[in-house]
Amino acid sequence: MTIDNAVFAKLTEIARTLFDEYQGPWTPALRSEDVEQWDSLATVQFAVMVEQAFNIRFSTDEIVRLDNLGAIASIVAQKKA
Amino acid sequence: MFKGQAVTFPSCGVIKGLLETQLSVFPAHQSYLHRRFQDAGDVELAFVEKLATLILKITDGRAASYAADYRWLAETVLEEECEFRRTGRYRHSSFDEVEKIVYADRAFMTRYMNGLLLSQLWWRNHTEVMRFFCDVFLPGKVQQFTHLEIGPGHGLFLYFAAAAPGCTAVTGWDVSPASIDLVRNVHRLLGLTRPVALELINMFDAPQQHFDSITFSEVLEHLEEPSLALRTIFNLVKPGGRAFINAPVNSPAPDHISLFRTPEDVVALVRDAGFEIEQTLFSPTTGATLARARKLSLTISAAVIGRKPANAHDH
Repeated sequence: MTIDNAVFAKLTEIARTLFDEYQGPWTPALRSEDVEQWDSLATVQFAVMVEQAFNIRFSTDEIVRLDNLGAIASIVAQKKA
Repeated sequence: MFKGQAVTFPSCGVIKGLLETQLSVFPAHQSYLHRRFQDAGDVELAFVEKLATLILKITDGRAASYAADYRWLAETVLEEECEFRRTGRYRHSSFDEVEKIVYADRAFMTRYMNGLLLSQLWWRNHTEVMRFFCDVFLPGKVQQFTHLEIGPGHGLFLYFAAAAPGCTAVTGWDVSPASIDLVRNVHRLLGLTRPVALELINMFDAPQQHFDSITFSEVLEHLEEPSLALRTIFNLVKPGGRAFINAPVNSPAPDHISLFRTPEDVVALVRDAGFEIEQTLFSPTTGATLARARKLSLTISAAVIGRKPANAHDH
């Protein structure tokens, strides 16, 4: 999976705001289950913050699958392309 | 903080059994419930156990069914959360809209109320408000008092008020016959022996009566005119009496139509109705500090104890 660095940097910035207790590495492999604060409610909040930051829209099915940073970066890049 | 470490749950008592039941029908909620209980102290856990014991009685052998309804509620709220985050508003703004979608749908209402019953345990802010009511509001009363709850919901606040020493008469008003039946059944299951007057009354058409104390919990956000409701409550409280007002901030739900953005908005409404503010509790959603909840516009329960001045004039 190729990751757009600019997209990933912006995603990480949003994630740091939302998951402010997480102290591990921010990598594309980071999954929701690795982050204590990343529950289903936070997934929705994260998704909408990403939508607003990139001016895109996720479907409900996509939101459910937004469970790791790499996948989110990939979906965002596709939508921006 | 990483996931996958030791999971913190109450390890004994009724609450342990209810947690196991909940997780059996909603395993994806494990992380959330872990956060719910990870910082709970002994005093909070003792209250949770007391509440769990009552709730288990109310479920009447159908705890798994209630747990499934809680899961449905959590998923329903998630859809509303998505809408709220995108638009900055609640989906509906009029009573007529939610009346058709929610209140008139008996099956929907049953699941909703069952789910909310378990939220008293699983949503930290709900537990904290209940504890504030029992530990701060009820003991602060005069020796003998009459009590009214408008919109008693699951009936637990009314149950605790009825059980309080010095309470001489207990009344509940609701606009829904189904809600009245539900509260009556809950009190029966809890073995409440004292009479509770449950009446089909719309607070805006209420007869001229006065009470020493009134509970109005999680109703304000369902109304188009919250200010009018609070002025009406002010008139129903005896001079020197008290009201317990509880409303959530930034809390999207299918039937929430009045959006309060800060706890101070709720306090200001209570003050503007004429009450002196005696005490407040601002309890953020599970897993968040108050500062974080404010920063990210997360749900905060705002519970306000207001006192009607002894020399006050009614509206």
